Amino acid sequence: MGLMLDIVIVASLIGLSFQSLYARSLFRCILHFVVFGLAMSLVWARLNTPDLAMAEAAIGAGVTGALTMVAFRRLMAISPAQNQSRPSNRSRLALPIALGAGGLVALLGLAVLEAEPVAGLAGMAVMEALPSTGLQNPVTAVLLSFRGYDTLLEISVLLAALLASQAVTQLDDPDPSILTEQPDTPLVGALLAMIVPLSVLVSVHLLKAGSLGTGGAFQAGAVMAGCGVILALSGRLTSSAQPSLLINLGLSIGILSFIGIGLVPLLYGQPLLALPDVWAVYLLESTMMISIALILLLLFTGSISIRRSDG
Amino acid sequence: MDSATLYVLAAAVLFGLGLDGLIVCEHLMRKLFALNIMGSAIFILLVATSAPINDKPDPVPQALVLTGIVVAVSATAFGLALIVRLCRESGKATLSVDDEPENDD
Amino acid sequence: MSLTETFALAFLFGGSAFFLAGTIGLLRFPDVYCRLHALAKADNTGLCLICAGLAILASDWQVAAILAMIWLIGLLASTVSAHLIARHAYLSGQKPVEARKEP
Repeated sequence: MGLMLDIVIVASLIGLSFQSLYARSLFRCILHFVVFGLAMSLVWARLNTPDLAMAEAAIGAGVTGALTMVAFRRLMAISPAQNQSRPSNRSRLALPIALGAGGLVALLGLAVLEAEPVAGLAGMAVMEALPSTGLQNPVTAVLLSFRGYDTLLEISVLLAALLASQAVTQLDDPDPSILTEQPDTPLVGALLAMIVPLSVLVSVHLLKAGSLGTGGAFQAGAVMAGCGVILALSGRLTSSAQPSLLINLGLSIGILSFIGIGLVPLLYGQPLLALPDVWAVYLLESTMMISIALILLLLFTGSISIRRSDG
Repeated sequence: MDSATLYVLAAAVLFGLGLDGLIVCEHLMRKLFALNIMGSAIFILLVATSAPINDKPDPVPQALVLTGIVVAVSATAFGLALIVRLCRESGKATLSVDDEPENDD
Repeated sequence: MSLTETFALAFLFGGSAFFLAGTIGLLRFPDVYCRLHALAKADNTGLCLICAGLAILASDWQVAAILAMIWLIGLLASTVSAHLIARHAYLSGQKPVEARKEP
């Protein structure tokens, strides 16, 4: 029964990935790619990794979907003909190379499965040292207590992606294409009144749940960013070309507090990034959530800053 | 066949498909999707081949993949910004070799 | 199979049938208004039945409350998005197809 479900998921995964590369129009590709992200989150659920399932659904499918959609609108505003662009670069080498690479991946994976299953040494060490961190979710413990470097670099990569995107986007003409008509129907206001508090609640819950079970700063930040995207789409937030101190502080508070708390242990002769206690984990996760949400939102609006729209 | 084998095979198919799309597709957004699909294939391979610890999945590959997902989204966002800028400058979102004659097919 | 499991299965199968009908409607109906009609109604009923079936299987008040909330939020989102899509289509000048004349 379980294997049947796996086969259905894998078949739809392969079909969706095929369609998101070779569909007739670019718009169909985008839609299939978003659904591919959702199917990936089903894969993670089947592989018994709920943290990944939630991250993939929120970040992989949600945020990537919003980003590709808004980029698609910008592309269409320049030349609508490219929606129909067909894959035409049929190289004779493509198929053999792809088959060879796929075969290599299959060989590698099957060889690992064939070998005697040995639990990873790092994973065992994590499980043994887990009680000393005060956390119960081993994934959060790896991300913040044991491999803090990775997470520090991760948030730096996210911030660098935002800065690089802003550098290549022409900032002198603010992009009006996110919002074409003001959706001024009463239903939107009612939706916002319910969805916005609810999503803030959900992201704070995810943040707190990250220490016990499934959740964490990245999932929480993505939910918060989704709330911001809804606000931007309904015209409550508009992009602004004036840099704002508050926004810039919010963008950098995650990495700044990470570095700050990471440096403190050096004073006591302990290694860099040795987090003192579980409160440090909570503090870091909260500041990172704010930064992640703002970075993802600004990547969506493609502007330097955002502000409340007038009226 | 158990489900770990199935997911390893799925990862192989996805990787091959993504590489094929990366070579064949002309539009840069499709190429970006191809890269993402190849990345997802590797994520599946990492998690599906890791041995469980006390009947729970190994946390280290999970944390690696979680970092990978976030980095993939960052790279995708930057790639999209580059594509939009390229399209604004040149009017099209493909990379073609300019000195190649148009009628060679 | 116990009685509760039979009930739950009946709900799950009913929900799947509604989802199937909604999807067929999405693929087969002629214009955007009919398609929204199929999606917004059939899929929400399907979601309700599946949530009810799962709540019976879980037999735990907390899980049942979470499932009910999932259904309500889904209802909210699909209502507003269907309204916005239909409004956009209407304002951009798409006319609903005429009813087919009987010969």
